[in-house]
Amino acid sequence: MIAAALGGEGGGVFTNWVIDVAEANNWLCQTTSLAGVAQRTGATIYYLELYPRAAAGNELPVLSLFPAQGDIDITITSEIAEAGRMIDRGFVSKDKTTLISSSHRVYGISEKSDIGDGTIDATALLDLADRYSKQFIHYDMEQLASAHQSVISSVMLGALAASDTLPFDRSSYEQVIRGSEQSGESNLSAFNASFERAGKPASMVESFDPAKPDAEFIFPDAKTDQGKALFTLARAYEPCLHEILYHGITKLVDYQDIDYARQYLDHLQSIATIDNGNSNFQLSRHVARYLALWMCYEDIPRVAQLKTRTARGDSIRKEVRAEDQQILYVAEFFRPRVEEVCAMLPVGLASAISNSRIMVSLINFFMGGRKLRTDTVSIFALLTLLAKMRRFRRGSLGYQHEHRLISHWLDAVRVLAAHDQEAAVELASCGRLIKGYGDTRYRTTQQILKIIQRVQNVADTKTDTSLPSATELARLRDAAFAGDDNVAFEEALEA
Amino acid sequence: MAERSFKSEVLKLRASQGDVFKGEGILAVTKALLQSGVSYVGGYQGSPISHLMDVLNDARDILQELGVHFESSGSEATAAAMLSASINYPLRGAVTWKSVVGTNVAADALSNLASSGVTGGAMVIVGEDYGEGSSIMQERTYAFAMKAQMWLLDPRPNLTSMVAMVEQGFRLSEASSTPVFYMMRIRECHVTGEFIAGDNVAPTYSNLNKVQPKREAEKIILPPNVYDQEQEKVASRWPAAVQYISDNLLNEFFPGKYDEVGIITCGGSYNTVIRALERQGLADCFGHTDVPIYVLNVAYPLIPEEVIRFCESKKQVLLIEEGQPEYIEHSMFSILRKADIDTRLYGKEILPGAGEYTGQVTLLGITEFLERFPVEGLNLRLTSKEVRDFQEVLVAEDSQLLTRNVPPRPSGLCTGCPERPMFSAIKQVQKDLGEFHISSDIGCHSFATLAPFNLGNTIMGYGLSLASSSSIRTTLPHKAISIMGDGGFWHNGLTSGVTSAVFNNHDGVLIIVNNGYSAATGGQDIPSLVQPNRLIATTMDTDKAGRPDQQPIDEACRGAGVKWVRTVSTYSIDKMKATLREALTTAEPGLKVIIAEGECMLNRQRRIRPLIKNSINNGRRTVRSRFVIDNETCTGDHACIRLSGCPSLTIKPNPDPLREDPVSYVDNSCVGCGVCGENVHSAVLCPSFSRVDLIYNPSAWDRFIARVRRRVISWMQDDKLAANSL
Repeated sequence: MIAAALGGEGGGVFTNWVIDVAEANNWLCQTTSLAGVAQRTGATIYYLELYPRAAAGNELPVLSLFPAQGDIDITITSEIAEAGRMIDRGFVSKDKTTLISSSHRVYGISEKSDIGDGTIDATALLDLADRYSKQFIHYDMEQLASAHQSVISSVMLGALAASDTLPFDRSSYEQVIRGSEQSGESNLSAFNASFERAGKPASMVESFDPAKPDAEFIFPDAKTDQGKALFTLARAYEPCLHEILYHGITKLVDYQDIDYARQYLDHLQSIATIDNGNSNFQLSRHVARYLALWMCYEDIPRVAQLKTRTARGDSIRKEVRAEDQQILYVAEFFRPRVEEVCAMLPVGLASAISNSRIMVSLINFFMGGRKLRTDTVSIFALLTLLAKMRRFRRGSLGYQHEHRLISHWLDAVRVLAAHDQEAAVELASCGRLIKGYGDTRYRTTQQILKIIQRVQNVADTKTDTSLPSATELARLRDAAFAGDDNVAFEEALEA
Repeated sequence: MAERSFKSEVLKLRASQGDVFKGEGILAVTKALLQSGVSYVGGYQGSPISHLMDVLNDARDILQELGVHFESSGSEATAAAMLSASINYPLRGAVTWKSVVGTNVAADALSNLASSGVTGGAMVIVGEDYGEGSSIMQERTYAFAMKAQMWLLDPRPNLTSMVAMVEQGFRLSEASSTPVFYMMRIRECHVTGEFIAGDNVAPTYSNLNKVQPKREAEKIILPPNVYDQEQEKVASRWPAAVQYISDNLLNEFFPGKYDEVGIITCGGSYNTVIRALERQGLADCFGHTDVPIYVLNVAYPLIPEEVIRFCESKKQVLLIEEGQPEYIEHSMFSILRKADIDTRLYGKEILPGAGEYTGQVTLLGITEFLERFPVEGLNLRLTSKEVRDFQEVLVAEDSQLLTRNVPPRPSGLCTGCPERPMFSAIKQVQKDLGEFHISSDIGCHSFATLAPFNLGNTIMGYGLSLASSSSIRTTLPHKAISIMGDGGFWHNGLTSGVTSAVFNNHDGVLIIVNNGYSAATGGQDIPSLVQPNRLIATTMDTDKAGRPDQQPIDEACRGAGVKWVRTVSTYSIDKMKATLREALTTAEPGLKVIIAEGECMLNRQRRIRPLIKNSINNGRRTVRSRFVIDNETCTGDHACIRLSGCPSLTIKPNPDPLREDPVSYVDNSCVGCGVCGENVHSAVLCPSFSRVDLIYNPSAWDRFIARVRRRVISWMQDDKLAANSL
């Protein structure tokens, strides 16, 4: 039997429990491990062999220290990608192995550090695990563990007990957990919950049908006349756009006002009319999504608005698992720079300041790293005031800047769409680049600007033959997502 | 205080004659040492024998009662030199380390010891760090055993055999006046099992019964003694060893009915061989085999008479010898050739030339061997193709799908590790000054060579980073940068690195990571301590139990002649950046030492967690801090993760239906080290990070002010959700 756990997940505790259960049933259990030291070494594999003492007589069996491919009866992993790794290594056989795994994810560093979405496809793993094992028991064991204030190892033990692969009855497992040093009760309740969960036939093999596309989206009833009017406008678009439009409109109204949402629909109209409808109006869908996000660019009033929301307190309490009524102090880490300050000021003033070296250094002096306690009255009042500044956003330098970029982007999309809809779709998708703050935001903005320029240059010279292709644009976008240093992007641009 | 405590397990070491001892391999070997009546034990920690040092440390009481002297040696060389006590006196002693690296460090002392010869049994327990789970380059201790003439024991990996071989090893050492290696493979160190214990034996000589000083001039390694000692190795020590090994049946013969073929294996691989034969229907699980097996529990020296006896009646023999070069294979060919025996011996012709002999590799090797030379009546259950297929169960398409979806999990720094902010700082300075060449070292900090930091070019050995930058330093566009841990500094770095660099006017930068422990090997104590620094976010702290005899790193550096020494908390990223920049750009000549201070978080957490719990339970006002990320302001570009890589800093699906990329997220394992916040400030990240202080047992003032704040803030809150205005 193989038990694979990540550092700090109690793989050693799990193994010791199994030894004790075996011992209680008069079975020999030899274990060995490649014990790394705690969190530092990623995944740790424990290998166990069990043998009934009754059958051994006076001789001791010669047990192996190596798990071997094709020779494993039980493989139990604490995370689904680790189950995948065990399959990859040949430690799961179709004719022999019961595979038990938690279905939750612990993301790897390559997944986490991706600029976009680097996560792997867990559904594919579940499907593979099901097809390549004799029996596959899986559910979110992490969730079950935390519901019982326990650790994943007790849930894994429950699944093992329920899998009926070892000839030990439930009570001997319970006995061992009760007898172990720490938190016997919560471990026991997690064990029992897991035993019940694993025992349900439905959970043995869950279906992996990819989620069906949602049924047609229905706009909720608008509460105001303005809302009604907006939704009516939105309903005129293709039904496949409705859901995105709804979310877009909601976000924009929250960000600015009703007019801003109308402005959004106007922009979108110019694209929708030239969309040839391919792939379910992919062009319009992409523009609808990224335009809404871009128009809601993050500036100081926006951040202040989000930080002063009523609902925020509760979500923080939940996230840090605070006790009922527990007092929390919350400090926000801000590092606003002159650029961010100017972006929220009226155009004239902002330009004057950014052109004045004295003003820049003065503001810089007052900015720098700030820890602001949003649970205090003064800071909350300040942020509330800053949030209200959004009323003047339309006159600000930041607004002017972002909206100039947005119209460049839309122009370029339109130019491309007239010749090559696929390429236009790719350019629309480049809207995904618009994210981050500070240097990151500056870099991604420059990147999309260069991509737009690539289209615009050709358009200006009226030699449409050399407009960038869909492939080229996709390559540029991927290169922009390749790293923080811009190197890959510059190379792709040269090529 | 090491990472894992063996306080309860060491009680098993008190077991007496006839008791059934159950436990791990390392614990069993410790028990065997006590049963052998050792006078002294020492060693240097390192996987896979770190726990052996931890067990010895936790067993100090028991050792003291018996009069056994124990030292946590400063390095493997220190440990090896301890064995000199066995040269003149009938004192048994054992030392332990990670091999082959530790053996390399100890080489000088070992060679001299082996030349002098021993009176009392001297044993080196090497954790052979080879194969899966190893953390070093792949070499064999065997080569050292051959060149220095030390015997190498490689017992069958069950506790009974392992314990017996420790006891036999001391007798062999004494019978042949030669120190011995006792080899423990990685999985053997951690294997659990049982054996029948014997009584502990107090050493004849110890602090309780002292020796009479005795000089044996001929044992000193000076000419002409060394010439005589070499002659003695060949003329008397070797034959005595061969005699003892064969008389006492240290190697084992297991007969089988198919006498034309046979398998020779080192003891450590025996269980794997039996399992392979069992799967082929040629053995049962108790080791009763149809194919004769000769087990080398003593891998060096070989016993020619035994090899001849086993081979002469057979046509073909397979030798299972893990690792390279195939020294045993060469020696056996030589033995057979000299005896004019034409039995064909196969080794690496059939088995792989390099790499670990796992269950699969061994099964495939034995299967191919028996397929190549069919024996009448011998039927294999599995063909070699079927065995190969065990590794390729997936159809090509699924295999690709799987490979794409199993993310690698490289080793990394722990949650809250003090080295993380330091590497963040180095990365930020590198961004400003251009690409660095960094000489790295052994320790947790070597993980910085991996994602997300990708810092570091070479690793030459423990404490050798500064030494390794001494040649490249004049050719680099920047001042040479070396990073060393406090463990490496005391092990070797002070002499090989700092002293030599000062002597040679090395105008470079040495960063010494001072975390207070030999952290990578499991948190063992080292000569220096680290000041408990008040972290940005952790509000509970105590002074670490100080030692009056601690040896500060900065004083050692100054004592060695370093003029420019700065101590900086690793958690102050801005200060670290400024100091590093200064060190790299200053016109001041000579070595610049930055002591980057921050207590190992794993050890720190173990220390303060019970304190926090106690404090809360005792009703005292207690603050616990951790970080959270606002998932509404996070845009999902993960710059924070690329800068830090903290395990608690992860991702989750984006709650915004319009955004497709996951948002960053701090999970509940956050210890509130504050690095996220520091990075926000120093690298100008996003405004999504917040520190949350959870107040336990609030004071009346806490409660009052919180009430006031809640009330006033709720007056100000008038944010209507957008959906309401639509």
